[in-house]
Amino acid sequence: MENAKGLMPLQCKSVIKKYKEKEVLHDIDLTLEPGKIYGLIGRNGAGKTTLLSILAAQCPATSGAITLGEETVWENQQALSHICFSRELNPVAESAIATMKVKDYLKAASIYYPHWDKEMADRLVKTFELEPGKKILKLSKGMLSMLTIILALASKADYTLLDEPVAGLDVFMRDKFYKLLLEEYDKTGRTFLISTHIIDEASPVFEEVIMLKDGAILLKENTEDLLSRAIHISGREDAVDAAAEGFKIYHPEKIGRSKGITVLMEHGREFPSSNDLSVQPVSLQNLFIALCGDDN
Amino acid sequence: MNEILTQEKSIYLQISEMIENDILRDILLEEERVPSTNELAALYAINPATAAKGINLLVDRNILYKKRGIGMFVASGAKEKIRQHRKEEFHQRYFKAMMEEAHSLGITGEELIRMIQAEEEKK
Repeated sequence: MENAKGLMPLQCKSVIKKYKEKEVLHDIDLTLEPGKIYGLIGRNGAGKTTLLSILAAQCPATSGAITLGEETVWENQQALSHICFSRELNPVAESAIATMKVKDYLKAASIYYPHWDKEMADRLVKTFELEPGKKILKLSKGMLSMLTIILALASKADYTLLDEPVAGLDVFMRDKFYKLLLEEYDKTGRTFLISTHIIDEASPVFEEVIMLKDGAILLKENTEDLLSRAIHISGREDAVDAAAEGFKIYHPEKIGRSKGITVLMEHGREFPSSNDLSVQPVSLQNLFIALCGDDN
Repeated sequence: MNEILTQEKSIYLQISEMIENDILRDILLEEERVPSTNELAALYAINPATAAKGINLLVDRNILYKKRGIGMFVASGAKEKIRQHRKEEFHQRYFKAMMEEAHSLGITGEELIRMIQAEEEKK
């Protein structure tokens, strides 16, 4: 695959973010390597949007630094020309945007993003059947998502961050988005970081997944590797407990004598098989629930 | 190449098995080009690195080979190789699983043999 040649990693170093006294990101260290599609998952309020906007220097970190290669990103036009953060549009709150027309919004983006691909933006407006003359305030939830997707793809930025791009889209349009994304990735090898709550649908698209929990990075790992070591074990409670001895157990559930648990194995370690137990693979969504639920 | 992906197994394994199935069923012929990593990625909406992992598994087993600048091709003799490999897997994948289930249900070896014979006679 043709990766963005010679491009440097985008890094978060010891980033802390406080809103007044409340610390929402705790000492985040994160490296995004060029040429990968990353998924960012976390519960509501975990800090996903804050992390994305800090990575794109759209909001200052309380302490710590964002760097692209050796350079600090903050107020650095050269570095910022490689980064696009397409945030969720909420035209009611952001009244300045609300009265803009679709075409004016994209025009503004074309000025802001130096590598803007106008031909692509126009083509996507047609694909998504958006009316260029329509005011943003009048757009449906799905149309707002489409507009953020157009901005992200047409920005042609080497690092493109999308905040819940599929949130308002129906299943057909979501499928369309994944395909457009993979097509663009195939052509350019750009790096994408995408937050989503529709996890299982998007997990095959993510080369790596980043889980954010309560403002800290819980894990960052190749998606397939992660899933290959996640298993669900169920059976009679005593058999499950005996087999799971020495393993870290997540999300235990019980009904009568029966018990189910999720285990995240260490690399290369096998779970002892037994006829008394059902050992099943776990989807990314179920693993997320196991790792980030309230019962841990 | 039109089977659907499930969550029961790693995606790259499913990709390699689908290609194998297509070779066994003469959907893909020997010395014919197989869909590229990116074609597979687009079809299934999966990361191309995952599709590549599935394809490389078959390259390692000499079922596919790479023609520089053109793409991946089905090796001659691939069909026989896959059949051989599946035979080796048969014991682990079907036979052992069947025995375990039979054992837990208290089905004896003799009963199993009778079942197999009865099935054979139906053919």
